Amino acid sequence: MSPALEIKNLTHCYQPGTPMEVAAIKDANITIEKGEIVGIIGHTGSGKSTLISHFNGLLKPTKGTVLVDGTDIWSSKEALRNSRFKVGLCFQYPEYQLFEDTVFKDIAFGPKNMKLPSDEIKRRVLEASKLAGVKPEMLEKSPFDLSGGEKRRVAIAGIMAMEPEVLVFDEPSAGLDPKGRRDLNNLIKAYHKKTGSTVIIVSHSMEDIAKLVDRIIVVNKAAIAMDGTVSEVFSRSEELKSMGLNVPEITEVFARLKAMGYDVPLDVYTVEYGADRLRELLGKGVGK
Amino acid sequence: MIKDITFGQYYPGKSLLHRMDPRMKLVLTFFLIVVLFVSKNFFALCLVSLITLIASLLSSVPQKMMLKSIKPVLIILLFTAALNIFYTKGGATYLEWGKLVITEKGVNTAIFTIIRIVTLVVLSSLLTYTTTPTMLTDGLERLLSPLKILHIKVDTLAMMMTLALRFIPTLIEEIERIMNAQKARGADLETGNLIERAKALIPIFVPLMVSSFRRAYELAFAMTCRCYTGGDGRTRMKQMKLSLRDFICLFVCLAVLAGVILLNIKFGSIFEV
Amino acid sequence: MSEKLIELKNVSFFYEADEEDAPPIPALRDINLDIHKGEFVAVLGHNGCGKSTLAKLCNAIYEPTEGTVIVDGIISDSEENGDKIRRKVGMVFQNPDNQIVATIVEDDVAFGPENLGVEPSEIRRRVDEALKSVNMYDFREREPHKLSGGQKQRVAIAGVIAMQTDCIILDEPTAMLDPMGRIEVMNAIQKLNKELGITIVLVTHFMDEAVKADRVVVMDKGEIIADDTPRKVFSQIDFMRNHSLDVPQSTELCNLLNLGSDVLTIDECVSKLASVLGGAK
Repeated sequence: MSPALEIKNLTHCYQPGTPMEVAAIKDANITIEKGEIVGIIGHTGSGKSTLISHFNGLLKPTKGTVLVDGTDIWSSKEALRNSRFKVGLCFQYPEYQLFEDTVFKDIAFGPKNMKLPSDEIKRRVLEASKLAGVKPEMLEKSPFDLSGGEKRRVAIAGIMAMEPEVLVFDEPSAGLDPKGRRDLNNLIKAYHKKTGSTVIIVSHSMEDIAKLVDRIIVVNKAAIAMDGTVSEVFSRSEELKSMGLNVPEITEVFARLKAMGYDVPLDVYTVEYGADRLRELLGKGVGK
Repeated sequence: MIKDITFGQYYPGKSLLHRMDPRMKLVLTFFLIVVLFVSKNFFALCLVSLITLIASLLSSVPQKMMLKSIKPVLIILLFTAALNIFYTKGGATYLEWGKLVITEKGVNTAIFTIIRIVTLVVLSSLLTYTTTPTMLTDGLERLLSPLKILHIKVDTLAMMMTLALRFIPTLIEEIERIMNAQKARGADLETGNLIERAKALIPIFVPLMVSSFRRAYELAFAMTCRCYTGGDGRTRMKQMKLSLRDFICLFVCLAVLAGVILLNIKFGSIFEV
Repeated sequence: MSEKLIELKNVSFFYEADEEDAPPIPALRDINLDIHKGEFVAVLGHNGCGKSTLAKLCNAIYEPTEGTVIVDGIISDSEENGDKIRRKVGMVFQNPDNQIVATIVEDDVAFGPENLGVEPSEIRRRVDEALKSVNMYDFREREPHKLSGGQKQRVAIAGVIAMQTDCIILDEPTAMLDPMGRIEVMNAIQKLNKELGITIVLVTHFMDEAVKADRVVVMDKGEIIADDTPRKVFSQIDFMRNHSLDVPQSTELCNLLNLGSDVLTIDECVSKLASVLGGAK
């Protein structure tokens, strides 16, 4: 079985051939298997936006290849077009892309572009609204009458309705309040579990990343700096900090304890796990 | 990328031209353009071009940038040159090929027009390269302030111009962002006939409008918060004062006009033989 | 506590509904709140709880439907008084792009003082000082659209400082920024409060930002449901969760371990854990 997404020796330069040539991403190699849930982190300007714009062919690599489900997306016009549907890209603040006069029509925009029959479009719209938590009574409303959080769900449903094999979220919870964040994280988790499709999350929020993904890819200075499990990556907190990134607060607490000489693990990234480890250490005396 | 257009953009510097009063710069640019069109022969024209070249060298704007600003008008240049070569007749015949006749006068007018247009572009680019958009609108506002007597709200118009300049790059970025978002949903912007393509723009146009209105609304709030109540009682941080250098430049330009008039009389016009 | 700067007395606010005959939509109900000179107050609450409306009432962008808002002795009941109030209370918004009016950084900072009719040489002095206080002086001749989000937001803050207001209200100033930008802006805010004594009202979604305030006001459904020090507010973990909010992970960890819930910061958490771990090195 071919991987869901494979990036081989990818290099992208802006303004190539001029003295102003800048490589936004250099010689990147990534393989993402089907069904994985992966996080991509990196500070603004690290090259991660350039990287994800290659996943569905919005940018053409200067060098290297992008394979979606084993097919080179730049091998033919057909392959490029298909990549848009196989890899769903949900940009930051996706609610700003809404344009139709009803929620239903807006969610149907993607499937319609896929030239699907109308009953299939309908099925997908209903299915996607359910996955994204868009209530049925909202479907006939104008998307512009909804609240901010609802708009975002509609926009996400619009991507889900294409039933992509890989779904990429760029800063999905930007600007949301804590509950909005929690709800959206749960939604993404449920989507991944239910559809079994590959999910990639780009985020600045290390807490969100820690809660959601199994594997983290770190982009720094236009290159892949780390690629490993969540605990592997977060245990290298000093390196992450030198890249202008932070670690979850809880990871930081453990890193400091370790630095003070306590024998605590460094791979802690959720509060519950951290509390458990500490309870072990403290014996039965503290905590229940 | 659309973001990289250089025409009409400011190039920071501390040259004589940068330090000139924007009002004087505006007036003199306009003045020199008029002189440029008054010039009737190569001697007069070259005088104006020469002074433009000197100004350009004094401006500390890299020559590469100047050349870049000519690029967008290249097609117009070639087109007018071709028109002149083939349609102006007179003097010695250089080439005759069926109906195609190239004469001395044709070639002369073509060269004349090219120099004239290039000088024109360099002159106006010099103005925008050495003057910040804010200074430019400020200068315009002050030059036009006598119009206030006619109840024309010059300061409001100037504010609108500044805001337009401020938001052009923001909106260009916004368009790129929306285009990418819709392309990611399979929107096809490149193929199809004219009607299909126009239709394909709706998913871009609607979000752009919605966001522009939202921006305008927020901007209005922000301006109210910063006590903007229109033009009355406003002061300006950057004062405009005419200094010696402005008057020297004025004098130089007047001298150029005098020179052009003299040269026009002495050598006549190349347009009438 | 020192003098009151902003005083809200029994304030309610209703938005006009879009459709005719529909009843107005309530946004705030019977709010009583005093903000004192030199305070740093954080306002927390989920989206739509009324905290942005509250912010806009404090600098007379809105006038209350019921009750009174008094800023430094001036009641916000007329357009004229509104102008006076806005000279004392400045505001920074969420989207940095939509509040910068000029094409050069220093010109933008000068916009406020210019509107106030300040002398040109005095504007120059204020602009330079304001830009220095947010560490943006070196960028004074840049174009705002080429700056990062955090830098733009600091320019917006400088624009308010240059007006020499007594108070700055910031309505989710870091919501659209990356972690670096958030740190830059928070550092600038804290510095203004500590060094220049400017009163700060910070509306935010981020608990780690609210922790840095002197006082936290929590809102829900148009009402103030808590108003206390961050330590007291965040120790009520279940209360916060029930109102769609969160607490810092350090607080949560110590609470899970029954080490008390008055721990706020990483430093406090680490020293608390070290004390119970004792010699278990």
